[in-house]
Amino acid sequence: MPLGVSMFLSLRGVTRRFGSVLAVDHVDLDLSEGEFVCFLGPSGCGKTTLLRLVAGLEILDEGEILLEETDLSGLPARKRNFGVVFQSYSLFPNLTVARNIAYGLECRKWAKAKIEARVGEMLDLVHLGQHAEKHPHELSGGMQQRVALARALAPEPSVLLLDEPLSALDAKVRESLRGEISELQRRLGITTIMVTHDQDEAMEMADRIVAMNRGRIEQVGSAEELYWEPATRFVGEFIGRINVLSASELRAGFDGPPGETALAIRPEHVVLSEDGAHSGTVRKVAFLGNTMRLGVEAGGQEIEIEVHGRRRRMNVGDTVTFDLPADRVRRLAVSSR
Amino acid sequence: MSVGAPTVRASRLPDSDRLFGVFTVGATGLLLVTFVLIPLWAILKNSFVTPEGIGLDNFARYFADARFITVVGNTFEVGISVTLTTLVLAYGFAYAIQRTCMPFKGVLRIIALLPVFSPSLVQALGLQFLLGRNGFVNRTFGTEIDIYGFWGIFISDAVYAFPHAFLILSTALAVADARLYESAETLGAGPWRIFRTVTLPGTRYGIASAAFVVFTIVITDFGNPVVIGGNYSVLAVEIYNQVSGQANFAMGAVIGVLLLLPAALAVTGEKWIARRQFASLTSQSVPLVPRPNPARDIAWFAYSVLVALAILSLVAIVIYASFVRLWPYNLSFSLRHYEFDVQNGIQPLWTSISVAIVTALLAIVFVTGAAYANHAFPMRASRILYFLAILPAAVPGMVLGLGYILAFNTPGQPVYLIYDTILIIAVCNVYHYHAQGFLLATTNIKQISSTFDEASATLGATKLRTVWRVTLPMIWPTVLAVGVFFFMRAMVTLSAVIFLITPSTQLAAVSVLYLDDRGALNQAAAFAVCIMATVVAFLVLTQLALRLAGIRGVNLVR
Repeated sequence: MPLGVSMFLSLRGVTRRFGSVLAVDHVDLDLSEGEFVCFLGPSGCGKTTLLRLVAGLEILDEGEILLEETDLSGLPARKRNFGVVFQSYSLFPNLTVARNIAYGLECRKWAKAKIEARVGEMLDLVHLGQHAEKHPHELSGGMQQRVALARALAPEPSVLLLDEPLSALDAKVRESLRGEISELQRRLGITTIMVTHDQDEAMEMADRIVAMNRGRIEQVGSAEELYWEPATRFVGEFIGRINVLSASELRAGFDGPPGETALAIRPEHVVLSEDGAHSGTVRKVAFLGNTMRLGVEAGGQEIEIEVHGRRRRMNVGDTVTFDLPADRVRRLAVSSR
Repeated sequence: MSVGAPTVRASRLPDSDRLFGVFTVGATGLLLVTFVLIPLWAILKNSFVTPEGIGLDNFARYFADARFITVVGNTFEVGISVTLTTLVLAYGFAYAIQRTCMPFKGVLRIIALLPVFSPSLVQALGLQFLLGRNGFVNRTFGTEIDIYGFWGIFISDAVYAFPHAFLILSTALAVADARLYESAETLGAGPWRIFRTVTLPGTRYGIASAAFVVFTIVITDFGNPVVIGGNYSVLAVEIYNQVSGQANFAMGAVIGVLLLLPAALAVTGEKWIARRQFASLTSQSVPLVPRPNPARDIAWFAYSVLVALAILSLVAIVIYASFVRLWPYNLSFSLRHYEFDVQNGIQPLWTSISVAIVTALLAIVFVTGAAYANHAFPMRASRILYFLAILPAAVPGMVLGLGYILAFNTPGQPVYLIYDTILIIAVCNVYHYHAQGFLLATTNIKQISSTFDEASATLGATKLRTVWRVTLPMIWPTVLAVGVFFFMRAMVTLSAVIFLITPSTQLAAVSVLYLDDRGALNQAAAFAVCIMATVVAFLVLTQLALRLAGIRGVNLVR
């Protein structure tokens, strides 16, 4: 088949039910080789279940998962050759770091010398060479997660799956490990899926973000696309902050049937001006350093306005006037379907 | 990194993990059906089969005899009175241990657990020395207390059941949310009101659970009533009389069914309660740490010492009596009862130890195997498997033992090959205590995060490799605890095995019973001391071996 036409990993109508609940609802998705994709969504949106379906840890109710045109549905996890890193590290506590990394290679019956060389290579990759003989409990959380990464990568998996790999770690460690994982992924060129509920993490690391809600994909795109052109109200509200205009006074001038779509504008796009078209009363003032966030009551709803740079001091009770620039107001679908 | 097309096409061929799962679940199921269900079926069949066909004739004949109705009444009288008494006593003791700052908690705790280390007839034996016709009290004070009958069973079974109630209540009292107590106190509640409104409701599931457990233990106990019951007969003893005394298997089966019903109900009640037990505490709870309060601590200490002395006295007097020339006439020190110049000599003790070791080894494989199979391979049969695995908790030992005779004592049957050997005794022990061992192992296997299994699978390991390389290295202390539990039970059990022994496979606990029956009380005491010493020595050695291996915090006594 001609190169570039077929996708590396394809999900077709992937569905998983728990009782009557649709945890994953007919998901279609294509990944090209070497891509870094994040499943992003609130807890319970089905992102982890979807990852586990790809890994073979859950059984598909409907649909198929294709790796280079091969259907994986009948294949148990241990035969898929996917590397998985879990939130809880899941290093085997009774084995040393080196033995943990060697585990997958022993399962594949590699020769002893080859295993040893590969373990050394992986330890260098995650900068833990001097810790080879330690047990997991002797390492910090960040180090343990790097061992887990090395262990998952050692058997040369065709896909790397990361299930909230950073959420059990401190903020500082999380920052540095973000960079390390991204760098590693680019260097190895391995197709990667990461599950996260942290939008900053997804925006910083992923080539493409898959925004999920209630078992469905709401939107797929780069961080920029999702921020500037959210397709649905869910995406707009989940990634960054957004005002949904409900007051008829504020909606005036933006045609369209209400209910089907929502009109929305990001707080930083609302323009405070002396002779603005709308006026409101300041109800909340939050000073955040270089920005100031105002809660303004206008037309019976509250609008959030973000002001950058130094301005005159605002007080609760002040009256302000503002504009809603037409090119900044977005029309959002209520849901993807 | 090389990323080649996978060479394996998705296949639905029999997978090695599936085969392993089907094998372990199937083997476990087959064993449970053979050694639990078939004996139970044999009991039911025999209770309904009469020369005239299938019917309730056997039951009708049973209830036609007024004496048998008394036996049922006796069983419930003892069961209910002992349950109430033991609950109150053990609750106080557990409260003193968990909620006060009294001294010597460690020693008091060990004394409270002593009855677990001895056969159930040892309490009755001790009571004979203390309050019997020629007992310490009657001879010292010239009284004429007659302990044989209700009061004998009442006291000895209360002591026998005490540690079981204590362990459950102690666990219930160990967990408490300090914030509740602080709230109650700041709202102005006094100690008695706090106890009624916070402590008691917080432990209600533990109390209910302990009540069901004690009730089951007491109505199914055989050792104490047979020794000290006199003419006051209970169901467990009546089965023995019918089967061993009169070879009336049909009547034995009928009584077995009568004993099975309340025991099964009590166990069902206990399981139902236990499922509700642990929801009250959340991760935000602040553990309650008792603060010193001299007056209260001294009062509870006095109470605990009194209870501990009562338990200790029954054990101590047995030990003492084993070392005197002839109780109660000649109290000079003597070792002659340890010569064991009776029928089989000391042989039954060695047989007991062999049986206990075989029991422990079988249990380690089959009971932890059952727990693993049930946990690792959820399938449609799992619920049935779980039910079968905990069903033995509802089966009194006397009933199971009789079931083994009825089901397996027929030449040509596969199990008949091991009949009359120590193997059938060990197997009977394994399935008699299957539920407790199974739950112990299951609790622990469940605590191990399933992500270890998943991590292992995604790295390409088969289930078998995961068990060997990951699961077993993590749960081996539990596996060991299961082995120790079964060793201890096998050393002291009397009820089920009494139907399975032969002259060449006689057990130590049965020897104590026979010697007591013949009036050789001193020798019975010496044999009992040997059993207790073996159990305690085994525990100490295992604990020591663990220490030497650098392992701490493994709780072997459950």
